[in-house]
Amino acid sequence: MSTPGDTLSCGHSLADLSEYLDTGQIGDPGHLAECPECQSGLASLRRLSALGSELLDADTAAAGSGTDDWMKAILGNLRLELRPGRSIPLRADTPGDVLTETEGSISALIRSVADSLPGTAAGKCRLHGDITEPGAPITVGVDLAVVYGHPLEQRAAELRWKLATTLARQTELNITAIDVTITDVLEPRMPDPQETP
Amino acid sequence: MTGSPSAPDQLDLVPDGLLVGRAADGDTAAFEALARRHGPVMRASARRLTGSLTDADDVVQESLMQAWKQLDTVRNGDAVKGWLLRITGSRSIDHLRLRKNHSDLGDLDHKLEAGAGAAHRDHPEHAALSGSRMDALKAALAALPEEQRRCWVLKAFNDQSYEEIAQTLNISTASVRGRLARARITLAREMEDWR
Repeated sequence: MSTPGDTLSCGHSLADLSEYLDTGQIGDPGHLAECPECQSGLASLRRLSALGSELLDADTAAAGSGTDDWMKAILGNLRLELRPGRSIPLRADTPGDVLTETEGSISALIRSVADSLPGTAAGKCRLHGDITEPGAPITVGVDLAVVYGHPLEQRAAELRWKLATTLARQTELNITAIDVTITDVLEPRMPDPQETP
Repeated sequence: MTGSPSAPDQLDLVPDGLLVGRAADGDTAAFEALARRHGPVMRASARRLTGSLTDADDVVQESLMQAWKQLDTVRNGDAVKGWLLRITGSRSIDHLRLRKNHSDLGDLDHKLEAGAGAAHRDHPEHAALSGSRMDALKAALAALPEEQRRCWVLKAFNDQSYEEIAQTLNISTASVRGRLARARITLAREMEDWR
């Protein structure tokens, strides 16, 4: 260390203590516990670390909320490109026409079905199988979060049934199974003030 | 309706991991919920690293764009905040390099107090509460050599490991260890007066 006074009279450097703070590792932990100099150095570094967290909190608060105009402007500039995924062929009424729909549109459909059930939200969904081959057997996998207090089994069963009927009606996929995985149980929202008696 | 998270603003209630899964599937509403949730801390980090409010917003925008493109590489969706902050750190440093290369205005160089001061003017009540101790830390931070400050911010704000900081700054982990220690020693000494 170039700064004078960085090495304590016990032989440890403040750099050792700084690293210990991050990794919990130091040459002789026994010494650390008993050395007043090291303890005082560590205490000083810990106070700085607490101040750093305080500054981060203050800076984050000063940065404003994610619902403020600055974030709206950023999101407006992003123009997120779509993720179409694989192309799913559709039957054409007129020979020679080539019709397809995208995997992304099926994911969106699955999410909208899951989100429309009370107290549930979809997570990731997957279409297993060769969706580019008409009639190929396809398995649907969907992650689901359920708000605490809603019956899990019942919600999963409802979702399977709704997805089966919706996908049968709106797509030509040959769905052989629908796997619903409940990945999260969500804290219920605080009730709206006007709903409170 | 009791707690159906279906409406877009209700996405703000679901955990990161779920939003990452949806966003990776192409759900822009889920991605925007992630951006709203972690945007402020990304902005705070970028402000400290670049020392400029305008640059910080450019950095946040570029970081979110990169995040959208690379979302399918996120293995643990619940750790997405750290991942977003790593991107923010890298983009901030890139921004500083570009600025150095493209302008010889010299003293564009870090006036962190400027950013901090402006932020505080917007939140006078906060400044009053946290008092001059925070101002002292900001001043001490602004007075640090550039490379030390970057190490300190990447550690204290972005919570990066030595290896990650080394990668971001393109230096060795031994250098990270040394610079971080020097930064802390200087800051700790300055702040001892404020106990």
